[in-house]
Amino acid sequence: MTAVSGTPLFGGRVARLRRTRPGFLTVVSAAVLALMALAAIGGTWIAPYDPAAQDVALGASMPSWAHWAGTDDLGRDVLSRCLAGARSALLWPVIVTLCTCAMSTTLGLLAGYRRGWVDAIMMRVVDLLIALPGMLVLIVLVGVLGGGIGWAVLALAVLFTPGDIRVVRSLTMAQRELAYAEAARTLGLRPTRIMFRHLLPNIAPTVVAGALLSFVAGLVALSGLSFLGIGLPAGTPDWGLMIEENRTLLDLNPWASVIPAALVTIAATAATLLGDRLFERLSDAA
Amino acid sequence: MLLEINGLTIAGPAGTIVDGVGLTVAAGEMAGLVGESGSGKSLTARAAIGLLPKGLRASGSIRVGGVEIVGTAGERVLRGLRGRRVSLLMQDPFSMLNPLRTAGAHIAETMPGRATREEVARRLAEVGIDDPSVAGRYPFQLSGGMRQRVALAAALAGDPELLIADEPTTALDATTQHEILALLARVQADRGMGVLLITHDLRVAFAICDRVSVMYAGRVLEQGPGTSLAQAPAHPYTAGLLRALPSVEYTLEHLTGIPGSVPPAAQVASECAFAARCDHATTRCRASRPPLREIGDGRLTACVHDTLPRLTARDVATGTLPTGSGEPLLVVDDLVKRYGTHTALGGVSLQVAAGETVGLVGESGSGKTTLARSVLGLVTPDQGRIELDGLDITRRRALTRQERARVHRLVQCVFQDPSTSLNPAMTVGATLAEAATRAEPADRLAPGDLLELVGLPPGYATRRPKGLSGGQRQRVAIARALAVRPSLLICDEPVASLDVSVQAHVLELLRGLGRELGTAMLFITHDLAVVRQIAVRTVVLFKGRVVEQGDTATVLDAPAHDYTRRLVAAIP
Repeated sequence: MTAVSGTPLFGGRVARLRRTRPGFLTVVSAAVLALMALAAIGGTWIAPYDPAAQDVALGASMPSWAHWAGTDDLGRDVLSRCLAGARSALLWPVIVTLCTCAMSTTLGLLAGYRRGWVDAIMMRVVDLLIALPGMLVLIVLVGVLGGGIGWAVLALAVLFTPGDIRVVRSLTMAQRELAYAEAARTLGLRPTRIMFRHLLPNIAPTVVAGALLSFVAGLVALSGLSFLGIGLPAGTPDWGLMIEENRTLLDLNPWASVIPAALVTIAATAATLLGDRLFERLSDAA
Repeated sequence: MLLEINGLTIAGPAGTIVDGVGLTVAAGEMAGLVGESGSGKSLTARAAIGLLPKGLRASGSIRVGGVEIVGTAGERVLRGLRGRRVSLLMQDPFSMLNPLRTAGAHIAETMPGRATREEVARRLAEVGIDDPSVAGRYPFQLSGGMRQRVALAAALAGDPELLIADEPTTALDATTQHEILALLARVQADRGMGVLLITHDLRVAFAICDRVSVMYAGRVLEQGPGTSLAQAPAHPYTAGLLRALPSVEYTLEHLTGIPGSVPPAAQVASECAFAARCDHATTRCRASRPPLREIGDGRLTACVHDTLPRLTARDVATGTLPTGSGEPLLVVDDLVKRYGTHTALGGVSLQVAAGETVGLVGESGSGKTTLARSVLGLVTPDQGRIELDGLDITRRRALTRQERARVHRLVQCVFQDPSTSLNPAMTVGATLAEAATRAEPADRLAPGDLLELVGLPPGYATRRPKGLSGGQRQRVAIARALAVRPSLLICDEPVASLDVSVQAHVLELLRGLGRELGTAMLFITHDLAVVRQIAVRTVVLFKGRVVEQGDTATVLDAPAHDYTRRLVAAIP
C-alpha cells in the first residue's frame, strides 16, 4: 500500500488555501490565536516576574511602571500570571478538542459507514449522553467526587463527542452513497481504508470547523469550572482561576480579573471566527 | 418581436462567458437554442428573464416585448414582465416545485384575476391532466412527468406571450420526454405564443423548432430552420455534432466525436471559436472573428468557407460488435428485490456470455440499477440467484475471503455521474494506483499505462478530478475499473450526462476495449441509439421484469412488446 499513501487529509485544499487571499478578520483571528499559543509555550520565560513570586507588603495595586497590569492581593504580578496562565487556559481545551475529534470522527465514520446494529447501538448511547445535563455531571464528577483537571478534561470530551458523532455520521452517510465510495467498495477495499482514506478527506472541512467549536466550548467550560473553584488547584496561574481569585479586588485592582476575562473572551471569539472562515474556504476549495 | 437579443455579452470574474449573441423569437414561433454544456445557452436564457447569477454582468441589448431589460430595468420592471410577458420552465421537476405547496397552489399563484377551482382544473386540462384532484396533491405525490406538466401549467398561468423552456425534458424518461415535447408544441400552437426551447439534444431541437440557433463557446455559430440544419449543416461544428450523434437505425463503423474540448469564450474572442477543433480551419479562420453571414433560405452561418461540410460518416457500412465466446459468464436467475411494498426486481433472469456486450434498457424505476447493484454486491437480493463465472455470488457475505477477492477482480463498474465517480480528494494517479493494488500481481499496470489505455496522457496522473472535464473523468473511471482486468464490466449509464461529441469518444473507447481486451459488458442505458452502437444483445426491463430480449437489431427494428414499441416510437 506504500505506493498509494499520497492522500493528504485535505486533498490539496490547503495548498489552494494559500493561493487565495484570506479576509481581514481571518488574519486577525489567526494572529491572535498564534500570539496566545506563543504565550502558552514561552509565557513563563517572557514574563517580567515569576508568576508565583509574592510581595505581600505591596498587596493589590493598580497598574504602574513596575507592574503593567498591577498586582493581586498577594502582590503577584498580574501580567506575568496572564502570560503564564495561557498555558493551562489553552492546553487543556486543546486536549479536550483532540480527544473529542478522535472519538467523534472514528465513531461517526463507523456508524455512518457500517449502519445496521453498530449504528443503532451507538446512536442510542449518543442519545443518552446528549440527554445528560453536562455542567451538572462535571460539577458532581470533579467538584463533589474530587477529581482533578484530568477528570474534567475527560468528562468534557465525553460530553462533546455525541453531538459531533451525529454530524460526522450524517455526512458519512451522504458520502458513502456517492459513486466514488461505491467504486471503492466494488474494488474490494478494506472498510477502514474506505472510511479514512476516501470518506474522511471529503468531510474534513466540517471536522475542522467542529474541532474549533469544541475548542471554544472547552475553553469556556474549563474557565467556568475554574471560576467555580473546581478542577485546577488554587494558586495555579490560569485565566479562569484568576477571574475567580481576584473578583474580590474589583475596587483595589479591577484589571486583575478583567484582563483574564477579556483574554478568555478574545480567544473564544477568535477561534469561532477562524473556524467559520476555515470551513467556508475549505469547502469552497473542495 | 417578443424577444430581441442583440450583441448580448455576459462577463463574470473569470472573463467573458457569452460573447455577442443575437437572437429573436416572434409570436407563434418555436425557437431553439442548442449547444453543449458550457456554451452559454442557459445563461443567455437567464439573462432574458433578468435572473443572472450573482457576480455576472450583462451588456448589449435584450428587449422583451419592446422593453429593454439590460442595465436600465430595475427589479420592479422585471417583476412586471415575469410571469405575464415572459415565463421560465426549468429542467429539474424535483426541485422546481415547492414541496410544501399543492399543484393547484402553484398554478393559482400567478393567475391573473381570481383563481377558482374550475379555472385551475381548466389549466390542468390544458397540460393534459384531466383529473382535477391533482390540484390538491403535493409534488412528492406526482411522477416526474406529472410534475413537469404542473410546472408548465404554472409557467403558463400568467398567460405569458413568451415561454423560455430551459432543458424541460432532460431529466425525464424517453417516453415521458416525447409526451412533454408534444404537449409543449401543442400548447404553443394553441396559444400562439413564442417559445424559446433550450436543449442539448440536437434531435429534439431539429425536430420541433421552427428556427434553431447553435451556440458554441458563448456565441452563435449557425442559425436557420431546424429541418434544413439537420440535413445540410452550414457550419463544421453543427456537422461535427450531427456526426457524433449515435444512430438508432444501424450500428456505425466508427463513432466520431469532435477532437479537443470547448475553449473558454474569452480565449477565442478574436478568431473563429471552433477553429482549433476544425478540419477545415485555415489562416483566415484565425485572422479575425467571422461574423454571422446570410447564405439564403433564412440561414446564417459564422463559417468563412463557402463549401458546406459533408456528413459522410453517416452512410458507411454498418459496424460489427464482438459477440463473445458463448460461454455464460454472468447468469442471473429469477432475481427478486423488494423495498418495503415496492418491488424493484420481480423475477429477472438474464445471461451475459464471456466477451459479449449486453444492453439493458429501461426507464427510471424499471429496476436496471438495482440489478447492477445486486451483481456488484452493493445490495443483497431477496430471492433468486446470481452466478458469476461459476461462482454463486447472490449473498456476498456467504463467500470466503478468497472468493470475495476473486469476485472483485471479476466484475467492476463504471458509474453514471462523472461529478461524483472519482474521489475529489485524491489525484487521478492515486486513484488508479489504489485500484491496481487489487489486481493479480502479474496483471498490475502503472497509472500511466492505465491512462494510456483510455486515451489520456500519462501526465494526467497528477491532476485532481476538479481539473478534468466530464468526459475525461469518465475515462479515468473506466481506467480504474479496468485496473483489475475484470471479465465483466458493468456500465451504469456511463455516457448519459456527457455531451454528444464527448459521448461518441467514450462509446468508441468502450467498444474498442470490448474488442481488444475481450471484456464482457452489461451496458445500462435509457438511450436506444446508444444501445444500438454498443450491444449485440438487448434486454428490455419494464417495472422490474424483462419484457423482451434478443438481438439488438431485432429488438429495435421489430419490437415485440408494447413497451418496447412505445420506446422506439418516442425517439425524436
